[in-house]
Amino acid sequence: MRISTIAFANLRRRKGKALFLASGISIGIGTAVALLSLSGSLREEIGSQLDRFGANIVVTPHSDSLALDYGGISVSGVSFDQHQLSNEDAAGILRIPYRKRLSVVAPKLLGTVEVAGRKTLIAGVDFASELRLKKWWRLNGRAPESATEVLLGYDIARAVSAIEALPGTSGAADQGTAHHSAAPDVFRVTRERVTVGGREHRIAGVIGQTGGPEDRMVFAQLGQVQDLLGRPGQLSVIEVSALCKDCPVEDMVAQIRKELPHANVSAIQQSVRARTEAVDRLTQFSMVVSVVVLAIGALMIFTTMMSAVVERTKEIGVLRAIGFRRTHIIKGLMIEVVIISAVGGVAGWFGGLVASRLALPYFTEAGAQIELRVSLAAFAIAVAMLTGIISSIYPVMRASRLDPSEAVRYV
Amino acid sequence: MREESLAFVAVENVSKTYSDQDSSGGVQVLRDVSVEIAEGEFVCLMGPSGSGKSTLLTILGAMNHPSEGRLVIDGIDVYALSDERRADFRLQYLGFVFQQHHLMPYLNAIENVMLPLATLKLAGIEKRRRALDVLEKVGLGDKASRLPSQLSGGEQGRLAIARALVNDPPLLLADEPTGTLDTKTGDEIMKVFLDLNSLGQTIFMVSHNPANAALVHRVLHIRDGEFEATSDKKDARTVTRLSPAL
Ligand SMILES: Nc1ncnc2c1ncn2[C@@H]1O[C@H](COP(=O)(O)OP(=O)(O)OP(=O)(O)O)[C@@H](O)[C@H]1O
Ligand SMILES: [Mg+2]
Repeated sequence: MRISTIAFANLRRRKGKALFLASGISIGIGTAVALLSLSGSLREEIGSQLDRFGANIVVTPHSDSLALDYGGISVSGVSFDQHQLSNEDAAGILRIPYRKRLSVVAPKLLGTVEVAGRKTLIAGVDFASELRLKKWWRLNGRAPESATEVLLGYDIARAVSAIEALPGTSGAADQGTAHHSAAPDVFRVTRERVTVGGREHRIAGVIGQTGGPEDRMVFAQLGQVQDLLGRPGQLSVIEVSALCKDCPVEDMVAQIRKELPHANVSAIQQSVRARTEAVDRLTQFSMVVSVVVLAIGALMIFTTMMSAVVERTKEIGVLRAIGFRRTHIIKGLMIEVVIISAVGGVAGWFGGLVASRLALPYFTEAGAQIELRVSLAAFAIAVAMLTGIISSIYPVMRASRLDPSEAVRYV
Repeated sequence: MREESLAFVAVENVSKTYSDQDSSGGVQVLRDVSVEIAEGEFVCLMGPSGSGKSTLLTILGAMNHPSEGRLVIDGIDVYALSDERRADFRLQYLGFVFQQHHLMPYLNAIENVMLPLATLKLAGIEKRRRALDVLEKVGLGDKASRLPSQLSGGEQGRLAIARALVNDPPLLLADEPTGTLDTKTGDEIMKVFLDLNSLGQTIFMVSHNPANAALVHRVLHIRDGEFEATSDKKDARTVTRLSPAL
């Protein structure tokens, strides 16, 4: 026989009321968990969409001549302005205060070279960062590992007869229409070497058809291209990808501008942004709804506990009369509240997770997932217990102040 | 704090006024009441309804603060203690048998008896052993796992006594423990008290039954909050009683 024995006996005795309270809490917690995990996974999804879109900040030199076009971005290429970007500028970007939030800094030099006798756009890149940025690239082969290796765009590769369609898949690949991109597994690289800028290079790989500008480009290591074009240390453009969904991109742009005053820094505005705002609003809405539902739950606990205290006036008076301290009464009642709230919290967390899993397909395309996060479970249970405890403080204190003689006087 | 009075229990000039919403002054229930109780004494308090018997008993029970005067038990000025210390005092010094017994209907007999021990840091088995001891003392050893509703009125009374005894209290207080029972069962309960007293238990009991008055050391008569002069006093050590076997 301990104080907890009495608490458990009381719970068993008033099962209905306890279940009612627990389900009230679980509805509140469930709503919060469902809404929060839903907006959480929408947020995740937007994050990965942002990643798929590639760069969200582009750094270019100040220039009036709009000579070359790269993926919709104007790149000054031909004229040698005095404000060329350099390798040093790429390093400069890594010095901004928000550098921890940068995920990729991809410097590149663009220019034209002869590839097997054709004038072709070439890009010198750092393959490690470039490939992290161009998540949609699908390579047949591998990325160049030495200066004398190149990566060919799909159209160029075809033009120099470096690939041939695999049997059975020829139709789409041969037509080469924009609607039918050729995946890397429908063709075979048949040529090993190609002359780029008058020098012999090994073809390390071919990029599957993307429908984008890279189809008509050749990629080589940055240093090699700087050498081929005779522009050592120079860059045409630096693509930057920020790490996060709610990055302060505008602030990061401002910081890069400050670091590189001679460069043109712009954030790419995307439709993703609108979606981010929608999710932000959903998150805010979820918060408000959760708080309201929890407040209703708290009110419910409050009134139920108040009536429980009145109902148990006599019992509490007897316990006080036989030597229970106020704190013993508080402890006993709080044990009940904590057990009820913990049960409600666990049930609410589970129910909310199931609900959000069921609801998710209506909000996103396939792919987004509700994760089982321990932190969310812990949070749900903690909030449930906190709600239970806070809303019972007054009734429980009142119970503990009951005058024992008063409580046991009448029948 | 040691008192000049050597009595085990001393009620010193106690008055009690209940505040009342209607009348501004409140209702005075006890007026300047003093009484001493010696160790081993069996005192019976009698008086008409509303005369203040239960009020005096709850004051003795360390759970009802007097408006004036003080209560000294074993040299302790009880109402000078803080609320929490007074709860500890009740556990250590007092056993209380309520008129309506106030047993917990959802706990069985032995659990009801163990209730006062719930806050103590004792092994569960030791609590159980003590509870079984007192259950046996009141003749309920074989009914330990019964719910109160499965016991007769007399057995419920004995169970209430067992609960009041489990903490081994120096002073046992009882408010009309036989009041709701028929004569035969009332006598049965009275016999339990007499047996306990013969083993040295100090008892202060409120009773309506004049038959009980003859069995105890001393009877106090109260009327309108004051003791009547006719209090019948016998020496605790020399009193001769009827045999407990009624
Ligand atoms: N908490 C209280 N507040 C106001 N008045 C009270 C309170 N407790 C008792 N009284 C009043 O004090 C008077 C004495 O009450 P008490 O219960 O002590 O009488 P009693 O002698 O035990 O009566 P009974 O034999 O009917 O049990 C009664 O008039 C009662 O109404
Ligand atoms: Mg009374």
